[in-house]
Amino acid sequence: MNRSLLVVLGALALCATIFAGSYFVGQRAGAVYCVNPADDLSWLRAEFHLNDAEMLRVRRLHESYLPQCAKMCALIAAKKAEVHAVLANETNLTAAAQKKLTELGELRAQCQGQMLRHFIAVSQAMPPEEGRRYLAEMEQITLGSHEEIEQSMSDHAGHEHGTN
Amino acid sequence: MYNAGGGRKSPPPIEPMKENMNPDDTQLSALLHQGRVSPPLPPRFQESVWRRIEDAEATVPSTPGLSWLDALAALVLRPRFAYATVTALVVAGALLGAHQGAQLAKQDAQARYVAMVAPNALR
Repeated sequence: MNRSLLVVLGALALCATIFAGSYFVGQRAGAVYCVNPADDLSWLRAEFHLNDAEMLRVRRLHESYLPQCAKMCALIAAKKAEVHAVLANETNLTAAAQKKLTELGELRAQCQGQMLRHFIAVSQAMPPEEGRRYLAEMEQITLGSHEEIEQSMSDHAGHEHGTN
Repeated sequence: MYNAGGGRKSPPPIEPMKENMNPDDTQLSALLHQGRVSPPLPPRFQESVWRRIEDAEATVPSTPGLSWLDALAALVLRPRFAYATVTALVVAGALLGAHQGAQLAKQDAQARYVAMVAPNALR
């Protein structure tokens, strides 16, 4: 093979290796520098530019909220198990199954209310502008998924009606 | 050359002739030029040299790919170009990687926080 071609190909391979190595090292360094993986609240500090005092308030709110959240999760999981048990024994949607579904929905609504109250409390522990941004983002993440599902369902239904 | 004991006498060390090693010695240069015998050039020497030069130049356009590749290889092998390229690659790779790493870490940390305060079952 031509010597010049070998030189150029070798240089290209070396360049690719150097770039890949630098990219990998930079990626690791950037990830470590940006957020502390050991701290679950490091994202809040980095994203909403919180100082130590604000982080302390947020951390207290977070730690007091987690047991309530876990309790509600356990209640919902138990209710879901009841719903599955009722539905497994019936071929029709009985009144008992409908009641369990309603109770599950009420529990989820309670949990969402509790979650939103926590988000509002956390947002108030932040500087006003950052708090508004946090609340909007949390509402989008926690409630927006339902809106997306409902929107996709209505779009899908609309298409079907349109074709009929 | 032999000493009284019958052994061989070692010759005295030869000292270099420092005055003859001066490159600026014009007289010595002239003598050397006179002493050098230059053979006569073969007939039509100049013509054959120019023909060879023209032939060498004429072969270049017939392989444009090779000349381009040779030029690139010569450029790659220049130390200054190589150092500059390596530096640029390291800086660009590290900056891009750091940016991507920060973005990924932020997304990961956000997902962990959201999963903790708003589990999927509740959403």
